Amino acid sequence: MTGWLEGKAVRMIGDDSFLGDTLAKAGATFVTDDTADCLVHIARAGPAKPAHRLSHGEWRNAIAAGLDRRFEAAKAFNEANRAAGSGGAILFIGSPEQQAGAEQAAAAGALGNLTKSLAVEWARDGIRVNTVLTNDGGPALGAMAAYLLSDYAAYVTGAVMGIGVDD
Amino acid sequence: MAVPAHHIIAEPPPFEQPPYPGDIFDRRTVLVTGGGSGMGLAMGIAFAQGGASVGVMGRSIERAKEGAAKIAALGVPVHAASCDVRDPDQVATAFGAIEKVLGPVSLLANNAGANFPVLTENMSINAWNAVTRIAIDGTFLCSAEFARRREAAGEGGAIVNNSAQYIWTGFPGDAHSAAAKTAQATMTRKLAQDWAPLGIRVNAVAAGFFPHESSTNGNDPEAIAPLQNMIPAGRTGKTHEFGWLSALLCSPLMDGVTGQVILQDGGESLRRSLMMPDFVPPREREDGPWGWK
Repeated sequence: MTGWLEGKAVRMIGDDSFLGDTLAKAGATFVTDDTADCLVHIARAGPAKPAHRLSHGEWRNAIAAGLDRRFEAAKAFNEANRAAGSGGAILFIGSPEQQAGAEQAAAAGALGNLTKSLAVEWARDGIRVNTVLTNDGGPALGAMAAYLLSDYAAYVTGAVMGIGVDD
Repeated sequence: MAVPAHHIIAEPPPFEQPPYPGDIFDRRTVLVTGGGSGMGLAMGIAFAQGGASVGVMGRSIERAKEGAAKIAALGVPVHAASCDVRDPDQVATAFGAIEKVLGPVSLLANNAGANFPVLTENMSINAWNAVTRIAIDGTFLCSAEFARRREAAGEGGAIVNNSAQYIWTGFPGDAHSAAAKTAQATMTRKLAQDWAPLGIRVNAVAAGFFPHESSTNGNDPEAIAPLQNMIPAGRTGKTHEFGWLSALLCSPLMDGVTGQVILQDGGESLRRSLMMPDFVPPREREDGPWGWK
């Protein structure tokens, strides 16, 4: 992965220090403002509860974290990078669709089709949009994330995938 | 129409800069089915850029040898073998022939396929059988042969399947390939489950349009030029970026990635608009079932 992200400024939203280390090894630098070449948005599902035990507040918080906040971050990223004419790549990382609660099933499905829609809306801004839904948090996710953010994936956009057989 | 100048087109690094070091497949042998030309040749070349020995399998031994010669120019050992992937005995024989020359095959790229636009009402049973059995039976037979040999050796391996961007939508005017390529993708997920205990990873690339010398009209620059602006990414794919993703999925860099079908089509299959040009049934399209000749 050496050099895959050389010269790329990455903005990470959400905690994943292992992923951050992997992207750094691939050459990424990190920023927290709107000068990023790449946006990585990480939001994992919470513990599963049967749907009829979820309060509306719990439901809404999960959808906000798994979907709404991502929409807002992507929209802001596009606005900045479109204005700068710089292109870029967005990567959403989350949990598999059917292995947590109903709130995650809803958020992940919505996120997948949001990904596909944004990929086409922003294709000619040179901005690619992809999603990885997995419980994996190790080297395989790191490598896939680095690839998807890199120019090697220039023709990969609107892709929604997992990492392992359980995803 | 050309892509407007203010649009930004994402481009991959040049062919000379693969995403992995030249020894990542050191002492590994890959077998590429249908590796003599087109997408299969791109796969073989990508594996060769990582130092793999490359076995090229093809129905036409002449074409397989031509492809093998192009791969050998990168400085790796190659061997060509003729094989109809629909015949399990031929598959076993070809694996044996390649392993005898290049050593154990630990990587497999299933690319063998046939495709041509035809209305289903005009599709002969032979045409249906040819397209579906090469991709469906061929992928199964080659993958199973590979897995048995890997199991006997007590070693894992990796498989990549060349699927297509139309597997989620169907492909009117191309029903045989639509069915066949989707079977490849769905079996990818199941084979990955079956063979995880053997340490064999199985993934697929749902590839979009990568013009090459043996694709329909792929050798005609005048036919290809207008297609650039049709695709959201603003261009057709470059065969080396397809080859790289295929090889990358089989590389140790992607250890742990299995059962995945990765779309690589520049957004082509995702184009949609509420209002679109009037629908013309495939049989009434002036330029054939695909609306393109």
